[in-house]
Amino acid sequence: MSISPRPLQRRSRILTATAAAALLMTAACGGGSDSPDASPSAEKLAIAIQAPPSSFEVTRLDGGQAAYVWASVYDTLLYTDEKGQIQPNAAESYTYSEDRKTLTFKLRAGMAFSSGAPVNAAAAKASLDAVRTTPGLGQSNLASIDSVEAADDLTVVVKLKEPDDSLVPYLAGGSSAIADPAAMKQPDAATNPVASGPYTLDKGATVSGSSYTLKKREDYWNAAAYPFETIQVKVMPDRAAVVNALRAGELNAGSVDSSQVETLKSAGLRIEQIKASSVATLFLADREGDKLEPLGDLKVRQAINMAFDRAKLVQTVLRGTGMPTAQLFNPKGRAYDAALDELYPYDPAAAKKLLAEAGYAQGFEVTMPSFVTTKPLEPVIAQSLADIGVKVTWESVPLQQQFTALGSAKYPMYFGIYGLDHDPLLVDTYTAPGTPTNPFKSADPELTKLIGDADKAGDPAEADEAYKKINQFFVKNAWFAPVMDIGMSWVTAKGITYLGDGSSAAISIRYFGTSD
Amino acid sequence: MLLYVIRRLVSGLVLAVLVTLITFLLLAPSFDGIVSNRIGIGVTSEAVRALKADMGLDRPVLVQYLDWLSDAVRGDLGVSFFSGEAVGHTVGQHLGVTLSIVVVTLLLTVAVSVTLGVLAASRGGAVDRITQAASLTGHLVPNLLIAIALVYLLAIRLKLLPATGFTPVTEDPAAWARSITIPVIALLVASVAGLTAQVRGTMIDELRKDYVRTLRTRGISTRAVVLRHALRNAAGPALTVLSFEFVALLGGALIVEKVFAIPGFGSYAFDASLQGDVPVIMGITLFAVLLVVTINLAVDLVNGWLNPKARIF
Repeated sequence: MSISPRPLQRRSRILTATAAAALLMTAACGGGSDSPDASPSAEKLAIAIQAPPSSFEVTRLDGGQAAYVWASVYDTLLYTDEKGQIQPNAAESYTYSEDRKTLTFKLRAGMAFSSGAPVNAAAAKASLDAVRTTPGLGQSNLASIDSVEAADDLTVVVKLKEPDDSLVPYLAGGSSAIADPAAMKQPDAATNPVASGPYTLDKGATVSGSSYTLKKREDYWNAAAYPFETIQVKVMPDRAAVVNALRAGELNAGSVDSSQVETLKSAGLRIEQIKASSVATLFLADREGDKLEPLGDLKVRQAINMAFDRAKLVQTVLRGTGMPTAQLFNPKGRAYDAALDELYPYDPAAAKKLLAEAGYAQGFEVTMPSFVTTKPLEPVIAQSLADIGVKVTWESVPLQQQFTALGSAKYPMYFGIYGLDHDPLLVDTYTAPGTPTNPFKSADPELTKLIGDADKAGDPAEADEAYKKINQFFVKNAWFAPVMDIGMSWVTAKGITYLGDGSSAAISIRYFGTSD
Repeated sequence: MLLYVIRRLVSGLVLAVLVTLITFLLLAPSFDGIVSNRIGIGVTSEAVRALKADMGLDRPVLVQYLDWLSDAVRGDLGVSFFSGEAVGHTVGQHLGVTLSIVVVTLLLTVAVSVTLGVLAASRGGAVDRITQAASLTGHLVPNLLIAIALVYLLAIRLKLLPATGFTPVTEDPAAWARSITIPVIALLVASVAGLTAQVRGTMIDELRKDYVRTLRTRGISTRAVVLRHALRNAAGPALTVLSFEFVALLGGALIVEKVFAIPGFGSYAFDASLQGDVPVIMGITLFAVLLVVTINLAVDLVNGWLNPKARIF
């Protein structure tokens, strides 16, 4: 199977999870060796996404595949390239002060919004201030910012309350999108973005919620990085529709279920397989054993980690489009440590022994939430746990209640599929207390120190070292039981290439190029 | 009759108020979840509370409903929690897409089913047996399978029709016709199968009645007996089935809309429900109730016109 690209921001992880599960659930359709039309044109990229973008307000730009639309219209201060490196974008440079509490951005000169108004420090400040003062995900992402100042026409100075290594990665996403301040105040700001990105939304050719047409701005400062004159983003929640549209030549790029890869390959389409774009993991959230006593014992959490035949699950459930893993971090990222994957081999007998040593020789029972997004994987998870004596009862939770259900600390253990991301963002997401990803507010002095080390590290190598140690902390203390990385398969027609290799978690039209 | 129509419309409005109130009350316990869903994962409950207040969802439920109702009466259905678009406009847009498919499907259903049903009932023999077999097959074959087969053949292999998408009729009538052909056929099969069986059954009943024998003894041609008398009497039940079919198709077109990536009413309602987009759900509920009330009223009026004995006004 495959999965849609994942977000740069925390919110969209669940969107990724939804996408992943939708892929797991989607039935295959048809077969054959017919050849699709040549791509509509190298001038035009026609791509499918599973869910439409929400509002176009800068305070509401979410991650997930919706970024194919808004990230084409908006410029962000920084961006993540296809190798996962954060690069200058609207800001041509950024520098930290010695104490890492002041971040200074130098904007490019000569940029303009589609309205003709200049992009300047005041505009960037207005957008950042709007994001950090409006209740929502962006506010949470930028919580470490104390103030934003426009030092001069092209210099933005961001003062931090405390050093925060996750801030720069967040500013390479929707949290730093720059909108025309005049348009932000208009009543149609949600549907009519006025920004400085490489494309503008062609409202006449756009059917909201269904199909978005973007026209290239020839006056864009970095037009050469965007080879397509027109981008058409079609909303197709059904994967069979994506496959049909690719075969009929109505799309020239899309991500598909792994079961469809061979059919599409034989139809002459190009396939790019990414081995890891999200991770399926069991959250052993009640690490003090407040609600489920056994989970307070490290041996029990380690036993659970040894219950999964990860390699077999990747082959049988994902048809090989994935990787067995015992860690939450991107295998192509710097925090990843291949040796950690060896720590918990599949060994039900040893797992039972650990449970017995912890005083649970008879196993124990646990109730876990069942979401429509995780349902396809639930039987194999439950079976693996049952094999070591942990009996799971699934409790159905409507999708719209998922965050409340998880955040309320009702469930000591739960299963989810979450998008991979920059190392600092993953740490931020999985450790923020009182959130659906850390509902029991787990904390540890060692972990707090390591996060502090990463935040204060001036040298990237030092920060990488800290993230590696955080990864080791998670795995050795069995805070989670990651099962497998879920990959994705990108299909492109002749003339189009997908440039990503899984190193970057970001979503961008920039990752598509042309070829002969 | 005018009084009857006014009475039905007023009771329809009362029904709309009741149904939307119940919908709102059912949604109210989910407000926290809906806010969390909009804000995303990785944020604290304080942030959720702040956004809930910002969205006005922390006010008493009845106050919120009455606010919505007073705005709705003035034609303002609010904006989507997620897209920020005006609900009235987008509901109308999606409903228009589905109606353009459903109406064509129903017109073709009537044409094909009445023809087949009448032929089967009046001719009997092989025609009847073939019609019954076809009707049964139509019932048994899932819409989705037909859609997949047609897409493969007509869109992927022969490239005669688009595999996905929808073109509004106002934009390009020919492209619109092409874009709805496969979805309409996929919906049509089950629809025709149901109505054909209904028309055949009621026509057989009618043709066995005394008045038909009387008409025949008076030398009225079989054609006139079947089409002008029996069919008129058999049309009532068929019309009722058709009205159910119409309502069912509005929501039931969901699978076809998903498979063909058509931005219709069914998928719009489905997505709004999954997200918990309260203003959109309320708008959809209101439109759906008013539509059902209108259709039922229209069916009653037509039934009364067809058969004076069935008049309830």
